[in-house]
Amino acid sequence: MRHDFYLAWRYLRHHRARSLILIASLGLLITLPLALHRILDAGEALMTARAASTPLLVGARGSALDLTLSALYFNAAHPPMIRMAEAERVAATGWAEALPIYSRFRVRGQPLVGVTLDYFDFRQLKPVAGAPLAMLGDCVLGAEAAAKLGLEPGDPLLTTPENLFDLAGIYPLKLHVAGILGRSHTPDDEAVFIDLQTAWVIEGLGHGHTAVADGGRMTPRIAAVPATNIQVDQTKLLTYTEITPENVGSFHFHGDPATYPITAVIAVPPDQRATTLLRGRYLAPLNSVQIVDPAATTQSLLQNIFRVGALFDGVLLLVGIATLLIVALVFALSLRLRQREIDTIVLLGCSRLTVLRLAAAELVLIAIASSGLCLLLLALVRHQSMELVRHFVIP
Amino acid sequence: MLSRTRALQHTLAMLLGIAATTALGAPPAGTLRVTATVYPIAYFAERIGGPAVAVGFPIPADVDPPFWQPGIPDIIALQKADLILLNGADLEKWRARATLPQMKLVDTSAGFKGRLIVVDNAVTHSHGPGGQHTHSGTAYTTWLDLELAGQQADAAGQAMRRKRPTLATRFNTNLDALKTDLATLDRELKTIAAEKPGLPLLGSHPIYQYLARRYGLNLQSVHWEPNEMPPETEWVALKQLLARHPARTMIWEAEPSLAIAGRLVKLGVHSLVFNPCGNRPADGDFLSVMRTNVENLRTAYRH
Repeated sequence: MRHDFYLAWRYLRHHRARSLILIASLGLLITLPLALHRILDAGEALMTARAASTPLLVGARGSALDLTLSALYFNAAHPPMIRMAEAERVAATGWAEALPIYSRFRVRGQPLVGVTLDYFDFRQLKPVAGAPLAMLGDCVLGAEAAAKLGLEPGDPLLTTPENLFDLAGIYPLKLHVAGILGRSHTPDDEAVFIDLQTAWVIEGLGHGHTAVADGGRMTPRIAAVPATNIQVDQTKLLTYTEITPENVGSFHFHGDPATYPITAVIAVPPDQRATTLLRGRYLAPLNSVQIVDPAATTQSLLQNIFRVGALFDGVLLLVGIATLLIVALVFALSLRLRQREIDTIVLLGCSRLTVLRLAAAELVLIAIASSGLCLLLLALVRHQSMELVRHFVIP
Repeated sequence: MLSRTRALQHTLAMLLGIAATTALGAPPAGTLRVTATVYPIAYFAERIGGPAVAVGFPIPADVDPPFWQPGIPDIIALQKADLILLNGADLEKWRARATLPQMKLVDTSAGFKGRLIVVDNAVTHSHGPGGQHTHSGTAYTTWLDLELAGQQADAAGQAMRRKRPTLATRFNTNLDALKTDLATLDRELKTIAAEKPGLPLLGSHPIYQYLARRYGLNLQSVHWEPNEMPPETEWVALKQLLARHPARTMIWEAEPSLAIAGRLVKLGVHSLVFNPCGNRPADGDFLSVMRTNVENLRTAYRH
């Protein structure tokens, strides 16, 4: 038996290219459905866990899925907005705690999410470096965001202007990185968190006053204070806003905060009764605001994904059968091509059974190598499953 | 460099916070930690909670609560409380600049938003190290209307019950006792003011709006400080005011200097202290200060 495998191994080594093609084809054939299921399982676990930990969401009427994805994964480009009054309305019912979220902005590709401090308690996010949010202009980074942006506590982070050609637009705000959050393996890792009030400053609803170079007159503008900006100030071309301990006292908001924008409210009722009562408040068809159950919405999304997964399975089955037939054909043809070699083996005194054993040994070696390749690829997929889920499953 | 300094401030604040809660008189585990941003509300919380509640009041004794500017260590300490009781009525102007957990915040005057007094055309003035300021916007000494003070105590009690439902009965008993004390003082003030309705009075500072409204005081205010001799222009303005508002008493936040009081006497105006008690008094508590205030006012009305 050992000799059979030795001869098979030598043969496969001699025909390296053909052997490698066979191993790769079979390896991928086995890997594809398993990897797909692995990614779908990871996606399901991720989405189910995130949705299950978010009891209810209140947001603008429209797609429940968009609202869920925007509030839970911060990935909607332009989520529709509601007013802060909706958060107060939820809290005023006494049936749920209200956690407002404002996830309209992005900073260097990462979601910039305005929340209240309660969000961190709710998601059990704690800084592993630095401190939590304390003052206007502070930000804390998710673990992944900190790694991608290469920032640490104490570093500045300039927000991204919404439109480079909007000369009358809002200046970017220079944020101060207060802390880095511990890894949670959720979309929070990717986010840059700011206080809701800081988000409203970015929105242009709040501003500070600073003495500009014309005799110290207080000018109602969001002006940069550092010395490097004085020249810029004189030329009336500010490049960014910065909130410093010196000017933070002058920052204030105009208008009723209840009218300020947010994109969603996470409602946290204490029990099922409160959940039902709260949902009842949003049944009116003319209501411009909706309440959704993220778990149910996610389940419906997952069902669609699984339908696509089943389709993939069917396609892969057909492709697999075709590939196996091709492999069988290749093997049969190779046996025919090897007829002189087989005749030589028989002439040397080997039986037909020995020839069959040699062929079987080759098949076993190819199967082992393919399985090894499959395991390697699956390990790779498992390691990167969360990343793959974020890229391919969660839109 | 600025950011690094700020990060250092954050870290130091965290360390100080941890040190403060672990070593320096930290309340026993499970104790409800309440922080109030004006003394009367802190006093209400102390009365309602009793020994089951650790009440913090972060404002230094020499700072008037409306002009307090919390630093990062103060904000981090506030964040650690289970409940943050605010006076509301625009007293905590710093609130828009500090990150605090909304679920722990309780605006004790939210229940009577419609009854808050809006001050228009207030004069900008300066005294002390705080620099120039104005009393425009919403009048904030809501607790000087003792009926509103009772409502603020109710709001504090409700929030505390929500945080510690098991102690609700004890909180309710204490709250009832507090409201009885406040109602007694309220009745006394009403009785005193009813003795001479429309009696002209002067206020040394525009902070008695709720007191005047509740008890029907005929009060006109100037912008004077007890320890700062007003400039001559102010004395001239006072004489003009007295011509159309013949008051014999000026109500002060604290005892005025002898020089000011003496010069007022020459104009026929006596000084009376009605301490708003926004900060923790050196002696006694909110109730004892209010009792003294009531007695002071009674004396003024009898003369």
